[in-house]
Amino acid sequence: MAESPVWAVVALPLALAALAWAAAALDAVLGAASAGGTGSGPGPGLVRACGDPLHEAVRLLTQQRRRTLMADRPLTRIGVVVLPVAATLAAVVVPLGGRAVADLPVGVVWFNTMEVAVWGALWLTGWGADSAFPLAGGYRFLAQGMAYELPHMFVLITAALGAGSLDLGEIAAAQDGLWFAVWMPVAFAVYLVSALAMAFWGPLGHPLGGDLAGGAALELSGPDRLVFLAGRYLLLTVAAAVAVPLFLGGGAGPLLPAWAWTLVKTCAVLGALVWARRRFPAVRMERFMGIAWTVLIPATLLQMLVVGVVVLD
Amino acid sequence: MGLRERLVRFGTARPRPFVVASAGGTRARLIAEAEVRRRGWREAGSPAETGLLVVCGDPGAALAEAIETVWRDAPGPRARVRLPAEASAAEARRVLDAAVAELADVAAQHADAQARITAGPWNPAAPDDGGDTSAMDHDMDHGTGHDRGHGGHEHHMMMRPGGLAMAEQEDDRDGLRLDVLHVPFGPVLRAWPAGLRIDTALQGDVVQLAEVTAVDTTGDAPYWDGAGVRRRVAGRLDSAGRLLYVAGWDGAASRAALLRDGVLDGASGDVLGPRFAVFARRVGRSRTLRWMTGGIGRIAPEAAERHGLAARHGGDVAVRLDGWLSEIAAGLPRLDEPASDRLELGGESGAAGPLAVLPGLLEGEGLAAARLIVASLDPDLAGLGRADG
Repeated sequence: MAESPVWAVVALPLALAALAWAAAALDAVLGAASAGGTGSGPGPGLVRACGDPLHEAVRLLTQQRRRTLMADRPLTRIGVVVLPVAATLAAVVVPLGGRAVADLPVGVVWFNTMEVAVWGALWLTGWGADSAFPLAGGYRFLAQGMAYELPHMFVLITAALGAGSLDLGEIAAAQDGLWFAVWMPVAFAVYLVSALAMAFWGPLGHPLGGDLAGGAALELSGPDRLVFLAGRYLLLTVAAAVAVPLFLGGGAGPLLPAWAWTLVKTCAVLGALVWARRRFPAVRMERFMGIAWTVLIPATLLQMLVVGVVVLD
Repeated sequence: MGLRERLVRFGTARPRPFVVASAGGTRARLIAEAEVRRRGWREAGSPAETGLLVVCGDPGAALAEAIETVWRDAPGPRARVRLPAEASAAEARRVLDAAVAELADVAAQHADAQARITAGPWNPAAPDDGGDTSAMDHDMDHGTGHDRGHGGHEHHMMMRPGGLAMAEQEDDRDGLRLDVLHVPFGPVLRAWPAGLRIDTALQGDVVQLAEVTAVDTTGDAPYWDGAGVRRRVAGRLDSAGRLLYVAGWDGAASRAALLRDGVLDGASGDVLGPRFAVFARRVGRSRTLRWMTGGIGRIAPEAAERHGLAARHGGDVAVRLDGWLSEIAAGLPRLDEPASDRLELGGESGAAGPLAVLPGLLEGEGLAAARLIVASLDPDLAGLGRADG
């Protein structure tokens, strides 16, 4: 596979940021729509809501930091900063138009590693504030990790098995003609669930639940909160972007160039993930854990078995 | 105008208000929420993430102190506005306009922020501004759980340098020795019954002990009990919306609030009926919601009777939500009739019954389930002072 040009190192974070911003804007628009789509000020409410992420970013940038007594500030900051960093690093293995910024032969493993760093990040954020609700939120994510991570890893391995490679570019190339999403539907569905879970978003956003007044992120304010929330949107974006080479044939498609197809498919998955937040209530791990271990794990293992048999043929 | 002014003005043009209501402030809260939505603002999930506090109704001493505690650590730029219980929609508009202007006043906000950097964060051991020097009485009653391990028996416990108490240890239900945290819920908490405070002892995220307190109930007539089916239908929609918010379903929660305000604004049942049907179908058919709310907070019919609860309080959280939905569906076609207790939409049977069963229901439940249980009973504390004399 061709080496990617140097400018891609700059372009990748910018593209990620643009997609993350689009996700935030879409969420704001969907939120405004469910609130009746009204709103004063210039333009109709829904169009106006597109500007919400920008207003919110500036509001947080100019906001004073809230402090709690005896907070462990270094730990909180590490947790907050790791989110966008891990998300951006995870994205370097995503092939954009046939080439990734870092064309690692073990791209799938790299993506998985970066995503697991989020466990630590969220827990540190919850722990560092020295406050009861964030602490509970941080622990919720650890429980969530226990529930989604094993099915998630089996799903990643299944796609790798289908292509006989851990390189995301080669996995995409192996889907010549038939997307993995089509003949590995269980794996694709479980991947979408785990994408929500790794970005603690929507139905799997309980670590930041409204019932805990914001959970792990409760005590974050000002720039800390901005970096944290941006990191979460970036994670959601990367999770959507990785689904494209894993299951949706990468950049393959008629007429448009490969990078455009990658972008279109990423936007479609990202839109679905954002929409899921409005469509489903939060899922609690005390109940989801049972399903994860008794249904999702056997289902993904069976899927892997089927793929293995097909590949051996 | 300098760059900083411009940025502050831009950022605070769409603030995230946090609305807190006193037990008698339901009407003012509804006006504030409607105005917030009209402006296309989004409410904050907690007072920690915002500098705009909207106090609805007339808080008594205890609630005012809790609000003061929250306010002390609200990140700047900040503004606190009050909407009295009898406020009008025009007043809400004026008050929020004033708040936006206050938030954008860079010089004043900067001075305020500087003063607070010098003062340091909230500390349970430090004497209050108001001269209340008893740190032991000063529980963290602001519902943001701003503290771990603030025990009930301070004089026995080792104090940490910050003035916070260490967590105690006790045997949990499985006989493991675990830390006990004393965490209050309310009265300043989103989607929480106004004027309710529940002091819990937590081990992990399991409620081991729950003590229910009514904060500053004044004996005002409960707003939702006002004459007419219309008011009661709106009340059920309000409760359902808050339960859905606690269940982590923001989309459905804001649709419920929209329907509620439609009912209160005098829309006819013919207009609202189809819109409610779409909402009720989505919520009623949600298997995820049923899965998450089933089997918790179960009240047996005889227990409901013993505590003087209405029949609709029986069952678990899912059953109570279904009950609300069918009550609303039954009430929508006859919004303009006077309410009669013979029909399904009975008035509040008083908050005393729900408050009496709550501790028993909460003990042994996880935090998330505990909040769903409280939301599914949604006691209206406004009438409490009156009922209890």
